[in-house]
Amino acid sequence: MLLKRQWLDFGKIYFGVLIVLVGIIIAIYSYFIPTPKSGHFFDYDGNLDMRFRYGLFMLLGFFFISIIASGYYNNLGQKSRAILELMTPASTFEKFLAGIFYTAIVSVFSYLLVFYIVDAGFVKYLNSNLPAFSSTLNKKTSIKDVDGIFYEVINDANYLRYSRYFFVFPFLFTSIFLLGSVYFNRFHYIKTAMAVMIFTGIAGYIIYKIGYLLTQDMVSISIVSKEDSVLQSTFIVTLIITIIMWLITFIRLKEKEV
Amino acid sequence: MIKIAYTLVYYLTNTVDMIQINNLNFGYNKHSPLFKNMSMQLSAGHIYGLLGKNGAGKSSLLKNLAGLVYAQSGTLNVLGFDPKKRQPALLEQICFIPEEFYLPAVKIDSYIKANAPFYKNFDHDYFNDLIKEFDIPVGQKLINMSYGQKKKVIIAFGLATQAKLVIMDEPTNGLDIPSKAQFRKIMASALTEDRCIIISTHQVRDLDNLIDTVIMLDENDIALKASVEEITEKLTFKKVKEIDASIIYAEPSLSGFNAVMPNFHQEDSKLDMELLFNAILAEKNKFKPYFN
Repeated sequence: MLLKRQWLDFGKIYFGVLIVLVGIIIAIYSYFIPTPKSGHFFDYDGNLDMRFRYGLFMLLGFFFISIIASGYYNNLGQKSRAILELMTPASTFEKFLAGIFYTAIVSVFSYLLVFYIVDAGFVKYLNSNLPAFSSTLNKKTSIKDVDGIFYEVINDANYLRYSRYFFVFPFLFTSIFLLGSVYFNRFHYIKTAMAVMIFTGIAGYIIYKIGYLLTQDMVSISIVSKEDSVLQSTFIVTLIITIIMWLITFIRLKEKEV
Repeated sequence: MIKIAYTLVYYLTNTVDMIQINNLNFGYNKHSPLFKNMSMQLSAGHIYGLLGKNGAGKSSLLKNLAGLVYAQSGTLNVLGFDPKKRQPALLEQICFIPEEFYLPAVKIDSYIKANAPFYKNFDHDYFNDLIKEFDIPVGQKLINMSYGQKKKVIIAFGLATQAKLVIMDEPTNGLDIPSKAQFRKIMASALTEDRCIIISTHQVRDLDNLIDTVIMLDENDIALKASVEEITEKLTFKKVKEIDASIIYAEPSLSGFNAVMPNFHQEDSKLDMELLFNAILAEKNKFKPYFN
């Protein structure tokens, strides 16, 4: 019931951003995918150069989920909309859960789905035109079929090994920007981004200084052998920060006044 | 379950005081309080008119009652609940019509489908009747309606929720003259024995013959809380040619003076709210002996 009601406002913003997102993905794919006319489009093994996808996936993903999360509670910054929102007969916890549902679940999974569909479309197009690549430039090397971006990650043990430790990152980003949307009354996105930059800058500097002071008389050793534990720690720390951010968001929502 | 049982017992045993405010201290910053130790009880079956100068705290008091702002100290009890907890059981019993409101860019039907299910007593037939009476174009998107039409929609929705506490902040702002008359008629018919209506306004004439109790805020507290009956029993409102010692307050008019004086001879007179408002603000201490 609450999800349906929230969708009245949120749905329009969400669809607007989603349409822009699809347009950007299609435009960038159209510009960067290899074509038979362009040179240097494959490696020695005959794989078409699709590396632009990884950067695009991460960069666009960050902007999409952070914009959606940043806009979710923006109505609380406007008096008239905040009254309607706070007077809706649902508990603060339910309103908070609706926020988590739309920003952490719907936005992240819809992004994955949209990217998957667009990527699959272009992959299919390329695979159906592989003979054109072979015939135009290099007849000795056979051009291999292109795999979808998610297929590559899931079927590559090395990719999967590293990337699984970073699965919480999208939720961390959404939790930070969701907190920003309830904390700031205006210019949520910019203010949140600034706050994160300042905070991480100061925290990074303090950690570096403390680390330096604690280890200045010690011998440095490589931690490559303990790579897994470092990645695990990253995963756990990210998860803890995400949960803390959600907790603070809930408290701020509870304390929100008009 | 305990809370529901408590609320039920509350209703059965406290039918008189729907709202209890005790020693309320509130302000937007600690150095300039808006209310100092304010206490008041409001009962069901009344339409209260909340009056006060700009900045006296009318809207803030209403927001306190609705749990939209938090008091610095003191207690607030609304229908047995603490409004600051914003419990759904209380929220569905409050119809809050703010002065500035927002309606999404959807048609009335969609708005009702999305919002009415939150109010288990929502009366769809009554809502449709009110929409017809207010002459609202049903097929039009809410965002494309005029301010007055939007206000009528929000009033109709609020009343159809069957909420026990109706809070309205400047409800007649933006309504045309026929709509104001319609509004008065609808509000008068909306009053039931278990409903409490609080209307804050500057347009005192819009509330003529509608409110039965006047609450006036001034200098961080309640300057007056009295029923219209009590006021006209104790005071009389007259047009006089000359001012004499019995007059508590007077304002010059075209044909002499509009005056407020003690009702020594139990005369019938019509409450002039604007005059009373100015009188209380100007001569608060002179009125204190009449209203405790």
